[in-house]
Amino acid sequence: MNTVIEAQSLTKRFGRTLALDGLDLTVSEGEVHGFLGPNGAGKSTTIRVLLGLLRGNGGSATVLGRDPWKDAVAIHRDIAYVPGDVTLWPNLSGGETIDYLTRLRGGADKALRARLIDAFQLDPRKKGRGYSKGNRQKVALVAAFARPAKLYIFDEPTSGLDPVMESVFRAEVERVQKEGATVLLSSHILSEVEQLCDRITIVRSGRAVETGSLDELRHLTRTSFRVATGASLAEVAALPGVHDAREETGHLVFDVDGAELEHVLTSLTREGVTAITATPPSLEELFLRHYGDRIEATGSDAA
Amino acid sequence: MLPVLLQQVRRDRIILPIWVLGTAALLAVSAASVVNEYGDAEGRSQILTVALATPALLSLRGIPNGDSLGSAVHFQSYAFLAVTIGLMNVFLATRHGRADEEKGRRELLLATPVSRLTPAVATLVLAVVANAVFAVLAALGYLAAGLPADGAVLSATALAVTGLAFFGVGMLAGELTATTRAASGIGVVLVLVAYALRAAGDALGTPDVAKLTLEPAWPSWLSPIGWGQQTFAFTDDIWWPVAAIGALAVVLVGVALVVHSRRELGASLLAERRGRAAARPTLRGAFGLAWRLHWPTLLAWTLGSALLGLGLGSLITAVSQLDFADNPQLAAILQSLGHTDQSDAAAALIPALMVIVGSMAAAAGVQAVLRAREEEAAGRAEILLASPVSRIGWLLAFTALGVVTVAVVLLATGLASAAGFAASGSDEFVWQSLGQCLVQAPAALAFVAVTALVVGLLPRAAIGLGWGLFGAGVVIGYFGQVLQLPDWLLKASPITHVPEVPVDDWVPTLVVTAIAVVLAALGMAAFRRRDLTT
Repeated sequence: MNTVIEAQSLTKRFGRTLALDGLDLTVSEGEVHGFLGPNGAGKSTTIRVLLGLLRGNGGSATVLGRDPWKDAVAIHRDIAYVPGDVTLWPNLSGGETIDYLTRLRGGADKALRARLIDAFQLDPRKKGRGYSKGNRQKVALVAAFARPAKLYIFDEPTSGLDPVMESVFRAEVERVQKEGATVLLSSHILSEVEQLCDRITIVRSGRAVETGSLDELRHLTRTSFRVATGASLAEVAALPGVHDAREETGHLVFDVDGAELEHVLTSLTREGVTAITATPPSLEELFLRHYGDRIEATGSDAA
Repeated sequence: MLPVLLQQVRRDRIILPIWVLGTAALLAVSAASVVNEYGDAEGRSQILTVALATPALLSLRGIPNGDSLGSAVHFQSYAFLAVTIGLMNVFLATRHGRADEEKGRRELLLATPVSRLTPAVATLVLAVVANAVFAVLAALGYLAAGLPADGAVLSATALAVTGLAFFGVGMLAGELTATTRAASGIGVVLVLVAYALRAAGDALGTPDVAKLTLEPAWPSWLSPIGWGQQTFAFTDDIWWPVAAIGALAVVLVGVALVVHSRRELGASLLAERRGRAAARPTLRGAFGLAWRLHWPTLLAWTLGSALLGLGLGSLITAVSQLDFADNPQLAAILQSLGHTDQSDAAAALIPALMVIVGSMAAAAGVQAVLRAREEEAAGRAEILLASPVSRIGWLLAFTALGVVTVAVVLLATGLASAAGFAASGSDEFVWQSLGQCLVQAPAALAFVAVTALVVGLLPRAAIGLGWGLFGAGVVIGYFGQVLQLPDWLLKASPITHVPEVPVDDWVPTLVVTAIAVVLAALGMAAFRRRDLTT
């Protein structure tokens, strides 16, 4: 599979602040890649470097096999981009803005444009200054989807959309992926990434801290159990890999490290199990582990 | 009520004093300068005689009433002071009216135990106080220039009450439209229409040269500024026009308050005009957008400077018919203005006045290029430069917009002034005026290029630096010789290199053009190498 985006030890400095601190990112052709991190982690900065809007201070990046700084224009022919904070021209209508932006890439597919405006329930005759944040985002999304591209880059695309519009957005991402396009989607909305993305890169303080498929990342985290068992709380709590064990209404509740699952389950079944619920880790927990480690380091985590 | 008013006062603590003090200072300075420039009764009578024969001057100034000093002051400054105070009040009304509603601040306020009318009434109180303070300062300004007290109080009151009438215009405009931009736009246009109506009426009026008076034509009677001129402050001191303007203010403010008390938050009497569902075919490429964003501004500059050009034609013709043998002093002033030893003062005036047209064209061009920086700072350049638009192509589009702006403004003004001369029967100046207008282009383009350079090189400082360099260039160009600035500094301003037609030596013009091209190219190169900066 071809690599569409390849960034290695990317650094970017703004004065004294180090926005990117050796960031690595690999996105393969045809995948929907989630780019997860809290505000200020460096997601938008990375995207702007990948678009040649900012120039990296160190490391290397290629987009569609080219240098994004030197060959910006050539690369941009195949890219559709929606910035995180969409600002529109106050006196241009939404329809004009969509036509203008798609014309820069060669012109909109008329039927597609009409279908998208309808699907996103956009009023194309309103002036740019009159749109709410969500509607500005919809204008940019319609402009991005209305002409096929090889690579779609969305910076927190659904932060202003309601759940119905989010599902419209998801359907469009699935459509372009089926057509063979690659998608890079930055977000801190976990449900969106869980539903859409094949692979994920988690970024924090300008570095990629984890990368892999959702399944691969789940191995790194804990599963929550709620069990009715003959084993005592003390016995279970003493097992290696068990965290936060406690008793709730006659059940034992605890978390288990992915690597110790087999061992813990064997021990439990030896003691007898009458009821069991296991909850897979959500991406919220993935986040908490990566961004909550500051809390752990200060010793406030009992585990 | 009081907390709302105090909060409005606090928000205006800088902007409103600037308007009030600035306008009062303008009044004092212009009254004092009339005292200096118009000289004694004989000098005033000479100048006012010329003015009465020159519709362009009458339209720019107003109505004289005899050869007294007060007549000259009222003639010279009343109309444009009324415009200034009118603009101050329009912006005051929309700043605390429609703008608050549009930005959502009013919603926050009305959710507290504050009645719907309270903010509007508070703004009205603020406006009355601001205009009253202005009236006091204005009267003092007139007295300082040595004018009679009765007329000083009358003229100052007329201006302040005119201000309140335009405050009512601003309030009503805010009730009509949904956006601050549109409301301020309507208000500004109505101020200018009021000025233009009296300009037309005065220009078409019937002069009485013996008594040095003018009976304005009917358009002047349609304008509150025209009514204010009928006070004949300092001479006849008539008070009824003030009452008429006051009645207009009461009606406008009253209607606005009634509408306001019945209107829902955020609603407007006029629905906002809807845009096009699809773009016109011409909206494409970086220049297509730049043009789409800027053409209304360009049109305004073109119309304004063309009107000026038309006026120049008739003004200079009138001056050329003066007998300078009687007044060697005036001839000397005109010649020094023209930096020329031509004995024909009118021919000397053309280069002097066309430099001002050149500066206007340069200002319009600088503004066009600075739009690039505004687009970048607002974050709208990002989405464009993430499309197949090159850095150089993007900045080049706005620089080209500046070049087109300069060309259009100069050409329109040149043709208008040529037409003005032709209409006044001064055929010998037709080609000179057109040519002298066009040779301003290289200097104006140099300002455009310098602005492109600062946008490319120093984005955060670009707007201040762009206008700052323009201002410095103009000051050096206009006043450098008078201020006896060093030679190298004089030569640094492109304005000092503007030739006079017929041009013998094209080298300086070509050098300025070449430097402009190089500076613009450096600007593009710098922009190619830097990060986008919001």
